[in-house]
Parts: sequence; C-alpha cells; structure tokens
Amino acid sequence: MRFPDQMRWAPGSARSIPLRYGLAVVSVAAALGLATAFAQFHIPQTFGAFALSAIAVTFWYAGTKPGILAALLASIVRDFLFDPQTSTESRLLFDLVFLVFALLMTQVVRGRNQLELKVAERTAELTQLNDNLKHEIAKHNQVEAELRLSEAYLAEAQRLSHTGSWAWSPPPGNIRYWSEECYRVQGFDPKGGLPRYEIFLQSVHPDDRARIAEVIETAVRNKEEFEFDYRIVHPGGEIRDARSVGHPVLDPSGDLVEYVGTIIDVTERKQAEKERERLREAQADLAHASRMTTMGELTASLAHEVNQPITAAVNGASTCVRWLTRDDPDLTEAREAASGVIRNARRAADIINRIRAISKKGESKRQLADVNELIREMIALLRSETNRYSISVRAELDADLPKVMADTVLVQQVMMNLIMNGIDAMKEADRDRELAIYSRRTENGLLTVSVSDTGVGLPPQQADRIFDAFFTTKSQGIGMGLRISRSIVESHGGRLWAADNSPHGASFYFTLPAPADVGA
Amino acid sequence: MSCHKESKLVAIVDDDDSVRVTLQELLRSAGFASQAFESAEGFLASGHQQETACLITDIRMPGMSGLELQARLNSERCKIPTIFITAHGDEQMRFQALRAGAVEFLPKPFDDEVLIDTIRAALNR
Repeated sequence: MRFPDQMRWAPGSARSIPLRYGLAVVSVAAALGLATAFAQFHIPQTFGAFALSAIAVTFWYAGTKPGILAALLASIVRDFLFDPQTSTESRLLFDLVFLVFALLMTQVVRGRNQLELKVAERTAELTQLNDNLKHEIAKHNQVEAELRLSEAYLAEAQRLSHTGSWAWSPPPGNIRYWSEECYRVQGFDPKGGLPRYEIFLQSVHPDDRARIAEVIETAVRNKEEFEFDYRIVHPGGEIRDARSVGHPVLDPSGDLVEYVGTIIDVTERKQAEKERERLREAQADLAHASRMTTMGELTASLAHEVNQPITAAVNGASTCVRWLTRDDPDLTEAREAASGVIRNARRAADIINRIRAISKKGESKRQLADVNELIREMIALLRSETNRYSISVRAELDADLPKVMADTVLVQQVMMNLIMNGIDAMKEADRDRELAIYSRRTENGLLTVSVSDTGVGLPPQQADRIFDAFFTTKSQGIGMGLRISRSIVESHGGRLWAADNSPHGASFYFTLPAPADVGA
Repeated sequence: MSCHKESKLVAIVDDDDSVRVTLQELLRSAGFASQAFESAEGFLASGHQQETACLITDIRMPGMSGLELQARLNSERCKIPTIFITAHGDEQMRFQALRAGAVEFLPKPFDDEVLIDTIRAALNR
C-alpha cells in the first residue's frame, strides 16, 4: 500500500528504513529496560504489558513490517530473558499472544491507513469545491462590477444627452420606472421616489395635456408606438420642451404588459431650430433683395424682351386684317395669322410670368428641376441685355443632365448673377464678346455648370476675394451678388468657384449634387 | 459695287425668330417678296445686297448691330434704302440713323400701314 506523503500517521513512508526498524528494536529494548526496572522494585511479570505497548507503538509509528519485527523481538526476549524455565507450551502460548496481537495491530494500522485515505480524498474534494466556489464568487463579483460600471456609463450618457428612460403600465395608471435623468428632465427630485401619474400630469403644460392624453390613449388602444413633443413646467416655472418616444411590450399571448420609452429634453434643439429658421428667412430676404436690385437694372432689357413677341403679335394681327380687308378675303391665311397672334401673345405672357416668378419672395421649395431648362429661360430673359452689348451667347447643354432637387428661383438667380457678371466684364472689350455656357454631368454624379466670358478676367491674386461680401470692381453695385450666389449653391450642397479663362476672361463653375436614385 | 434698282426684293434682318417670321408674313400679305436673315453678318455673307431693294433691320443684335450694318453698306457704296425697326429708339439714335441715310426709324411694335407705305416709297424711288 502506498501512502500519500501528507499522511500524518505514516511517517514511516517518509522516513528511512533504518529509522523504522530501529524503532522496533528501541521500543522492545525500552520495554525490556522498564520491565527490568520494575522487577527491581518487586513488581514482576510486567514485560508482557510493556512488550505489547512496544509492539503497538512500532506498528503505529513505523508500519507493519517493523511491527512484526518488534513482535518477534519481544517474543524472543520474553522467551529467553524472562521465562527460561517455563515449558515450551506456555512459551508458545505467550508467543501466540504476541502473534495475535501483531495480527490485530496489522488490521488496526490498515484500518487507520484507509481512514486516512478517505479523509484525504474527502479533504481534496472539499478543497476543490471550495476553490470552485471561490472562483464562482470572483466571477460573479467581476460581472457585478462590470454591470455597475456599465450602469454608471449609461446613467452618465443619459445625463449628458438629457435623455431619461421610463416605463409605465397601462392604462396609464402606474409609473413603474424612471431613470435618474428622467426625474431631472421632468423636473422631479430623484429622491422623491416615483410619482403617481396624476402628479406627473400636473408637470405637463396645460395646453398640451389633452393632446398627449389622446395620443397615449390611441397608442394604448392599438398597442402601437408613439412619439410626441410637449412642454414641461419645471417647479421654478421654467418651461422646457420635451420629446417622448414609447413602444409597447407585449407578452407571448399578445396582451399589453407595459410601455417603455425615453424622454429627451429638446429645449436647446428647438431653440437652435428656431434660430436656423430665422437665419434662413434672413438669407432668403437678402437673396430676394439682391434679385430685385438686379431686376431693376434689367428693366429696360426685360421690357425690350417682352416687346419682341408683342411686336410679332401686332404683325400677325395686321397681317390678319390685311387678308380680311381684300376684295377677296383669304380666310385660311387670316386664320393662320390669327393663330400666330395667339402664339406670340402667349409668349409675351410667359416672359412676364418668368419675370414674376423670379421676383417672388420664394418659399424655399425644393423640387426636381431641369437645370438646362432654367439656363435656357435665363438666357432668353437676358437676351436683350446680351444683344445690347453685342455679346453672342453659346450654350452647350448636356442632354443627359440629371434632374436635381433645387429651389428653381434661387438657381436662376445664380445663373442671372453669373451671366450679368459676364456681360459686365465684356462691356468694354474690344475683341469678340462671347458668353459660353456649358452644363455637364461628371463621373461622380455631380452636375456642373460653367459660365465663361472673354472680358477683363479675374483680379490677379484675388481670385477668391471676389466672393467676399461687398467686394466689387464696378462703380455701381453693392458687391453681394457672388457672395449670395455662393451661399445659394452651398445650401444646395454644391460648390461655386472661379478660374481664369484662356486666353482672356473668366470662367465661373458651380456644381450641384444629383440625387443618386433619380433617372434622368 | 452698285445695286440693282429694278429688283423688288425686301431684306429683313432681325435676330428674333417671331419678329422675322411675322414680318415676312405681313409683307407677303401686302404683296412683297422678302428674304429674312438672322444676323447682319448673315445678310452680308449671302451676297444678296445687290438684289436688295429695301432693307428692314433691327438695331440691337448679337454681333454686328443694325447701325454698324448701315455703316458697312455705306462704305461699300451699296446704298440700300434702310428702315430701322427697334424697341430701343431714343432720340439720339434716331437722329444718327437718319443722318446716315436711313429712310425711316420705327419703334416696335410699329404701325403696319406706315411700314408698308415706307417700303412702297422706297421701292418706287
């Protein structure tokens, strides 16, 4: 039998053999000594008892084999030193006693060893379980720490974004949960505990109560999501804007369990939106004012432009009268001429409408626009102006141009501005005066328009300064045209820039993004 | 270069399509044959100057203006009776045109009777 080193009671396995057998000898010798001593004091026959003790001690501390040796030694010693006269039978009887005792001790030691083994096994088991438990606890602690951390981050995120989360059970009777930020957004003290629904309702602005009650009622009835804005009156009287979003939680059988959602303080956002709206209006007003200024400069030209179709209409009417005033009136010809009158009168009306459209304040309505058409209209509108300065206009417009989402009035304003600038640049030019307008679709889906002149060109080194507000090289004019044009183009998501035209003059380019999913 | 006086051809020069076409129709209803040109350059390049008995032209056009055309014809010694029709008639321009030899200077839209009579007079000269 191999004993584990930890076993306390088998030091014999760890100790050397001489030590163990030495114990057998020593213990028997000690028994002998003690018996002899006791005999001196007139106490006879004690060797048997001491010998048995010696055998027991040896078995216990040194193991089975040394124990047997001790038994043998004791037997021999007893036989020869303490009882030489006794008969062989009684000697054998004593030997038998020692033998039986030795056998007993063998069993005792074996039993002890097995017990020790069991105990060691059990201890090992328990230790293992204990370790596992400690491991589990450590893991649990870690998970809890992570959870707490993530909760802290969440609370912080809610606080930073002024978003609170809530849950209530329908019909809106019980508020089940409010996150800390939810309390703050609603103007309640987190330490005050969950308020009753009626108390919460009192914090809602009186004008909004009916509306949100209806929205919630409809949503609950249909078990659907809801979203609404409303005003909260904080304890101090301050009014904040809030946006609440909620969605229903259903149980497996489809019944409504509760509503969960968020509430966000959108006061700053709403204010920013109002500011942006005001800014947009101001920009629109400015663009309009600039447009009207230009239209004022164009009055004569526009009048001339309207005059052309009116002249044609008068010609047609005169022709019609002539065909009818003959001796032999030609009704076919007269009809033809009269049709021409209608056509040309309509053309005149179209021009007037175009002028009116450009002069409108504009509601910033974005619609799918054909930029080529806008360009053609503007060229037509300004034809008298280009004629006035003997400027020839060449337009090469890509037929494959995509439609873009744009405010047509504003885009026409940009075209008007660029063309007018081109005309101004060429007014005094000696050489051939040509205004070239191109429209093209580029590879990356952008729409590019360019307006080139053969005039005075860009001021050197100041190519980008021309887009500054109030920059002008003209004797008249405020200098806002290019600035406004650039902001119009940029508000559509495009870019406006200038470059030198070779050999003379300047070119202005602007891009507009084309919607990806629009077919041309 | 001298110009035939026997021809009765009227030439119209105006960059506006509708004015050009309706003017041709008007002349046709009055019994005149006419040829229309989009530009002064086009008229000069056509080589019809010699057959033109009367020229009706706008003033403001891209490229060569009506007055420039008049000057050019004068310098080529091709005196065609010229009637100016224009929406931009100011006094100074009118005086300048008439002094350069224009037969008439009419604002747009013009009275057709006046135009037809002027043409007749020019052709019968």
